[in-house]
Amino acid sequence: MADISKDILEKIKKEKMRPYPKQYFLLKRSVVWAVFGLSIFLGSIACAITLFQLRYAQWDLYKHLTHSLTEFVLLVIPFFWLTFLLGFTWLAYYYFRRTERGYQYTAIWIVLSSIALSIIGGGLLYSTGLSEKLEFVFQENLPFYKKLQESKQKVWMSPEHGLLAGKIIKIISDQKVELKDLKGSIWIIDIADTIWRGRLRPVKDLKIKILGKMQAQNQFKADEIRPWKRRRGSGKKHYFRCIEKK
Amino acid sequence: MNDYKNMPDEQLVQLSLNNQDYFYYLMKRYEIKLLRYIKRLTTVSQEEAKDIIQEIFIKVYRNLNGFNPKLKFSSWIYRIAHNEIINQYRKTKLCSSIIPLNIEDEANLIDAINDSIEIDGAYENLETAERVRKALSELPDKYREILVLRYLEDKSYEEISDILRKPPGTVATQINRAKASFKKIAWRHQLDKELIK
Repeated sequence: MADISKDILEKIKKEKMRPYPKQYFLLKRSVVWAVFGLSIFLGSIACAITLFQLRYAQWDLYKHLTHSLTEFVLLVIPFFWLTFLLGFTWLAYYYFRRTERGYQYTAIWIVLSSIALSIIGGGLLYSTGLSEKLEFVFQENLPFYKKLQESKQKVWMSPEHGLLAGKIIKIISDQKVELKDLKGSIWIIDIADTIWRGRLRPVKDLKIKILGKMQAQNQFKADEIRPWKRRRGSGKKHYFRCIEKK
Repeated sequence: MNDYKNMPDEQLVQLSLNNQDYFYYLMKRYEIKLLRYIKRLTTVSQEEAKDIIQEIFIKVYRNLNGFNPKLKFSSWIYRIAHNEIINQYRKTKLCSSIIPLNIEDEANLIDAINDSIEIDGAYENLETAERVRKALSELPDKYREILVLRYLEDKSYEEISDILRKPPGTVATQINRAKASFKKIAWRHQLDKELIK
């Protein structure tokens, strides 16, 4: 009977085969760990922006939408970033399983640990203010992202529930302004007893959000006026300090 | 030569890295075991099995520097064999309907799967043996392999976990499922009347 091992050894010698160098395996392992680490880091960024968006989601508005809290919650949840978080968690799982001993852990353990690490990382990034900066950068540079975020503002087109948004097109008097809402309808807004948030003042072309009461068709009494959106770098203290002209 | 016989695998690995001739002793140590393992999982001929084992040993040699000494060498080489069998299976669909386990293998397997199965005597009946073989071949590949590793290759749960790269808990669950699945198939083949007390 032929000696298989001997034949293989001869083949190895004849073809001058050599074991792959140690560095090759070291590099391979390093790449796996690096991609795992990167996945956790990117997951942390997604988490940080999620925290930021949830923190400033103006939860007080749900009182005005009691007929559909679910709709409000669905509008507030940052699905865009949660999808990223899930994607990076899957990537982290995939690469962790490819580490030397990664297979010893169950899928659920790896996934939950990755999410926990991303949340911790996200919390740290959020506390440094990076999430706010990134949110601004994305909104300024990615038109689709800006559009996506603005679509969330449709909650403000609910005058029968006391919410209205649009642009001031005319200052009628100290107590009345004319507003073009997001759908293009014209409203007369009573601003006599209004609280202006974020140091806003009635200015033509100013885009605003209004909390108040619909008095009649195309007539609205404003109790509180908020800026359309926050500005970058203003920080938590200056969250509402913005006058946006469009 | 006798010195090498008592030398641990890990030491032979280190020696093989400096001198190819030492790799011969490592191969010799696993040649028969792996050939048997291949034959237990596939339907290949002796010649085809030799080709597979050649691939396995060459891969082992090329990857010697990647061997983690925290792992048992036998688990590592079985893992490479497992991967190579899967590769070959994908290429040629090695596992066909009947797995050519020998009578002794089948007896060991059934004995291990269920202590209450009576195999003595039943195996004297060739027709029954053929039905047992068919029942085993009906097991999904993953169950068949895990039973072979546990009961024919005598591997511990931890070793199987290292070979198949699955968590030890999953290995335990799959072994139980494989046993339950075999019992069901045996019942369908009416083997229970002949084999189970």
